[in-house]
Amino acid sequence: MTQTLTRRSGTAAAPPAHAPRRRSADARAGYTFLLPWLLGFILLTVGPMLSSLYLSFTNYNLFDAPKWIGLDNYTSLFQDERFLQSVGVTLGYVVFGTPLKLAAALAVALLLNNATRGQGFYRSAFYAPSLIGASVSIAIVWKAMFGDQGPVDQGLSFFGINLGGWVGNPSMTMPMMILLTVWQFGAPMVIFLAGLKQIPQELYEAASVDGAGRLRKFVNITFPMLSPVVFFNLLLETIHAFQIFASAYIISNGEGGPAGSTLFYTLYLYLRGFSDFRMGYASAMAWLLVIVVGIITLIFFRTSKSWVHYSGDSK
Amino acid sequence: MISRRNFLTTVAVGTVSAAALAACGAPASQTGSAANPVTITYTWWGNDDRAERTRKAIAVFEQKNPDVKVNGNFTDFAGYWQKRATEAAGGGLPDVMQWDLSYLRDYAQRNQLLDLGTVKINTDAFDKTLLPSGQIRGKTYGIPTSTNAFAVYYDPAKLKEIGVAEPAGMWTYAEYKDWLTKIGQAGGGKYFGGSDFTGIWWQFNIWLRQKGIDAFTGDGKLGFSKDDLRTWLNLNSDLRGTNAVVPADRSAQVKPKSPFGSNLTVSENTWDNFMAGYLKDSGAKELKLVPVPSDDPDNLGLFLKPSMLMVASAKTKNKDAAARFIDFMVNDPEVGEIFKTSRGVPASKTQRDGTTFEGTDKAVVDYETSIGKYLKDAPEPPIVGFGTLEAAFLRFNEDLNYGKLTVDGAVDQWFKEAEDVIKQNA
Repeated sequence: MTQTLTRRSGTAAAPPAHAPRRRSADARAGYTFLLPWLLGFILLTVGPMLSSLYLSFTNYNLFDAPKWIGLDNYTSLFQDERFLQSVGVTLGYVVFGTPLKLAAALAVALLLNNATRGQGFYRSAFYAPSLIGASVSIAIVWKAMFGDQGPVDQGLSFFGINLGGWVGNPSMTMPMMILLTVWQFGAPMVIFLAGLKQIPQELYEAASVDGAGRLRKFVNITFPMLSPVVFFNLLLETIHAFQIFASAYIISNGEGGPAGSTLFYTLYLYLRGFSDFRMGYASAMAWLLVIVVGIITLIFFRTSKSWVHYSGDSK
Repeated sequence: MISRRNFLTTVAVGTVSAAALAACGAPASQTGSAANPVTITYTWWGNDDRAERTRKAIAVFEQKNPDVKVNGNFTDFAGYWQKRATEAAGGGLPDVMQWDLSYLRDYAQRNQLLDLGTVKINTDAFDKTLLPSGQIRGKTYGIPTSTNAFAVYYDPAKLKEIGVAEPAGMWTYAEYKDWLTKIGQAGGGKYFGGSDFTGIWWQFNIWLRQKGIDAFTGDGKLGFSKDDLRTWLNLNSDLRGTNAVVPADRSAQVKPKSPFGSNLTVSENTWDNFMAGYLKDSGAKELKLVPVPSDDPDNLGLFLKPSMLMVASAKTKNKDAAARFIDFMVNDPEVGEIFKTSRGVPASKTQRDGTTFEGTDKAVVDYETSIGKYLKDAPEPPIVGFGTLEAAFLRFNEDLNYGKLTVDGAVDQWFKEAEDVIKQNA
């Protein structure tokens, strides 16, 4: 994993203009093999994206020809209270859900890294929720678990905490959604685990000789050595969190309720497009999301220089 | 109804014309034969119960029309419209579709639906006041399968359990609210009176009609003012937050079921064809219907609405087969026997008279008969974008019950949304 993140300079540069004949023949063969994917990428991804960019400047109801309205969709977004609500809901989810999920993944990875027996079993067991977590059935199970008189409500009541059903309570749906994502920590955990295996044992041995404790070793060795993996996971999970849709759609019955508390950005986008037939508006929302996620990614990359250490870096 | 002779003639004509057209080389419309049937697609919304009934009806149709095969599929109501929107955009709507009044203008005005005046469908057995509800600017786009009327449902067994008397109907809003309050008090948190009736669009629409106001004007604008909506929402202000109204968090959790179907409430205001669904959801043996409250005993604001319509795609290649299927679904008595009142009371007299109604089906038919003298003309098909407005009406009411909005806030926000929708579709 560290390999893929290592900054390589020069190796991926384009071949010189007057490359030997052999190399251009190789390139042709390469592009030929790439063609099926390239065609799919252009026709199924770039094409629709460009047309949605055009649609975002129009008033398009799916039936009549799109009408050009310039930036109207973008400007009216900011006067739309439901839109602002969806931004708030999504940001809350990203800001709280992502770090918690990564912390859970890292904690479990550290535990598993020390386990001597049955590591394969535990690894699979903890990974399983990620495989099924995004499915429709889990969202339905979640809804039942957190409902009135569901296992969670009854369990908490046993300890004298009477919250009632979380599903119908606007201030409890967000914690519920965050728990659902935290529970699916398997994918980042496996990546963390792979990263942990790559840290040379000599470093820990040397630290032990110098009398470093567990915490000291984590702060000064594990975390810095793992930082490229942390960075990778953080980036991926943040982008992923912005795109949450299916579980919110199912738990709120496609409405984003109760009281708009699960009105995630993509859910509102979907409702605007396919329930209200306002495809231009929905396209504008989609492009705004692309831009915002792009900016956040850029900020991550810029700030990463100060905390991500790649092996071989001189600093 | 298609007799044996009719059927043979159809097949013969079909075969001959197919041969004739094939000879011409450019058929204008596809025609099938028993040996080589044409296939039409049919789609509807509903639950498993309706799916089973529809499949039975399709089997009967195919038996009577061996030159046509019907490919059916269905989804739930919300997903249904999202699918149709996508298909319409791609030019691939199914040949025949079950339709709702709320979306008739959206699709008809945008030339997505077939003008049914151009094909042969027998409407002789229909009440003449009902057909206009499927018409827009004088053209017929939908044929009603059945009618429904608005009503207050209640569960007599639960009322007996908590010792509250059954209502006799013909009541004022004050009497109706008193009754809800009594249920709330006697229900002790186990049963609530009903859901907040001011959040139900059609109940509001009926209240407006009781005051002589049309919800929408002929040119697609709002017919009522902010003050009207404010008065309406304030009508239930004193009951919100009491046990007369089911708490928002309780009803949110049972979705997509209704609080009434989930045995949380003792009453519900909605269309009378929901009977079969409520019985199945709640497990109750019997549910009863009474008219909605009105402060004017001579004007209940009630009307018969097509509970659903049959429409065809404007782009169908099998106009004839589509028309025959629609004709069959709305007129054939066997279809009536299969569906009973689960689609509403059959709109065609031929179908209605050919169907035997018993038990709760009879209760629905009896209810519509009992309010006969109060019925007025149905309102025109709702404006384009009505689906959005109805959803917003319910959403703001939910926020009101959660205490996230005041009545004034809900009024302002709904009007803002409505003006936006009207402007978008102008």
